[in-house]
Amino acid sequence: MALRRRHLGIVLVALAIAVALGLFGRTISVACAYVSPNTPSSTDLVEEPLRWDDRTVSFVGEVIGEAMVRGDMAWLHINDDGYYLKNVEEGSGLHGYNAGMPVWLPADLARQVEVFGDYKHEGEVVEVRGTFNAACATHGGDMDIHATELVRVRPGHAVVDQVRPWKIALAAGLALLALILWWAQRVSGLTLERGAVTRRTP
Amino acid sequence: MIVRPRREDHLVIGKYTGKIIVGVGLLMLIPLATSIAFAEWDTAVDFVISISACLAFGMGTQLVCRTERDLSWSHGFIVASGSWIVATILGALPHYLSGHEGSYLDAMFDVMSGYTTTGLYMLQDLDHAAMGLNMWRHLLTYAGGQGIVVIALTFLFKGTSGAYKVYVGEGKDERLLPNVVQTARAIWLVSLTWLVLGTLALFATGAWLGQGPVRAFFHAMWVFMGAWSTGGFAPQSYNTMWFHSLLYEVIAAVIMIAGSFNFALHWAVWTGKRREIVRNVETISFAVTLTITTLVATFWLAKSGVYPDAMALFRKAFYQLASGHTTTGFATIYSRAFVTQWGPVGMLAVTAAMAIGASACSTAGGIKGIRIGIISKAIVQDIRRMISPESSVVRTKFHHVRDIWLDDGLVRTAMTVTVAYLSMYAFGALLGTLFGYDFVQSAFESVSAGSNTGLSCGVTSPFMPWLMKVVYILQMWLGRLEFMSVFALFGYGYAVVRGR
Repeated sequence: MALRRRHLGIVLVALAIAVALGLFGRTISVACAYVSPNTPSSTDLVEEPLRWDDRTVSFVGEVIGEAMVRGDMAWLHINDDGYYLKNVEEGSGLHGYNAGMPVWLPADLARQVEVFGDYKHEGEVVEVRGTFNAACATHGGDMDIHATELVRVRPGHAVVDQVRPWKIALAAGLALLALILWWAQRVSGLTLERGAVTRRTP
Repeated sequence: MIVRPRREDHLVIGKYTGKIIVGVGLLMLIPLATSIAFAEWDTAVDFVISISACLAFGMGTQLVCRTERDLSWSHGFIVASGSWIVATILGALPHYLSGHEGSYLDAMFDVMSGYTTTGLYMLQDLDHAAMGLNMWRHLLTYAGGQGIVVIALTFLFKGTSGAYKVYVGEGKDERLLPNVVQTARAIWLVSLTWLVLGTLALFATGAWLGQGPVRAFFHAMWVFMGAWSTGGFAPQSYNTMWFHSLLYEVIAAVIMIAGSFNFALHWAVWTGKRREIVRNVETISFAVTLTITTLVATFWLAKSGVYPDAMALFRKAFYQLASGHTTTGFATIYSRAFVTQWGPVGMLAVTAAMAIGASACSTAGGIKGIRIGIISKAIVQDIRRMISPESSVVRTKFHHVRDIWLDDGLVRTAMTVTVAYLSMYAFGALLGTLFGYDFVQSAFESVSAGSNTGLSCGVTSPFMPWLMKVVYILQMWLGRLEFMSVFALFGYGYAVVRGR
């Protein structure tokens, strides 16, 4: 069967894609696009769990979400990512995904934390010291740090939820457009119905 | 000869696409209300912009495309696949305006991932995202799980026979009740009942685990939505590891397994036919393949000594495998732990579970249990034919709500779709490998996207090549709509250009 021109085109496009991939395709490192304050960082702990397993580590980061108190102990989640000092809502720019470690520590220490990171807050930065577990026997195989010390490094603060003026203008313009189209649709619907009635009653 | 679509075809497609986009706009009222309730004014304005854009597009399209003509089968398929694309483009507005996305492509990636109940995401600094935006992310998966067409059918389509054709085009073909709108409402009845019960169970557990009442409630609702829709989105970057609780994991697992079952099965149980759970070919197939993949992963993890005891080993293995097999994507381990702790055999077990997926006509993705069941039965039937006398007639039946005789047509259809899925998985894996990623990791991620699972081993990230993002978006779309609707849309585009 002769090779048609169309088939040749497909082959050429496929070749061009393959060459482009070879030339411009690059492997993006899974490592994060920020500098952690920790050695080892949370990324190091996840990437090389056996190396750090059962070793004492110091871990600095922003406490996010909440403290989940369970009896005399509590869970904190501490992020050492690109947002631990300033988050996206404050204009930090984008630095990849969040990264951090769950920390299991005495509830009294957890209660010292007053501000937790969320949309409206940049959480407190704390430093904890404890044992890293690659697969914790107490917590069903979770990767975590069992901490015995907590030091408050920097207080948390509220983040202002500022509305940008251009967004208000855009919202008003689009809402007006939607309203006009809704009105036009109603009028056109009524016109169609009247037309149908007129056609039915000569 | 390919016939070029006429003006009337464009009008009918435009009209129904417009209706569905109005539905998407109305759905955004819920995250808007959430933002207002939490005084997140910037996010609230983002939603006003997005709602207005959806309504303007939807009503504008309906105004331009006025027609009384009803939908044909091909129209239904094109409306289903086309409206998912338009809904993705417009639904990405809140994500993009939030400032948490690196590009509009990333925002579209997240929205397609939500609609298709995949769960992979590009959103950065999730731990500082607004409540309203989180509500939208989870609502996307919940609504996408039922099908955005189902939403429109429930509220916006009134008694059109063509509605069934759009419904089928969205990858659902079970008619629980004689009327398709009644079927759509039945799906909502089942889903909303589970929503109330599941949210209450998770809320009570979350509060008991030390969460404040407001956070416990919203986390419960969102985790429910992520589990039931087999979406896998969670409100924190730690996913369900956040809770550090066996009880929370058990409840989430029950919900995701229930969510992965066929709506026809739910309806049968709802109407009193409880034995359907143990007789249905899909549940049997699911139980067998989940057991095999869990055993393989457990064996490998035990051999490598990753986990300290049998309980931790089984808990981690079963949860990740159930999550993968139901195509949910919840995880209680770090993404990279699949590579650094589970290793290639563990990853291949999860990849196989994700590839198979759960039930047809559910919120889940993948090849689907019913097709695996049909193909397995066909192979057994062929072996029986070979060892039986030539004059004997060998027939096989399977049970799916009712007893169905296996015929060549059914087997061919199951094989065709299975081959399409496998080709798609292979293409994505090959592309990742060409970009320099490890093959096992590329295969894991490609299968995760194509089967709408959402588990990641770290390949998916905002920094990955844009071409891979585009391919994953296409894989999620193709996988969710099970190819036919998307092929119909491509065919329509071709006919517009080359038809006579």
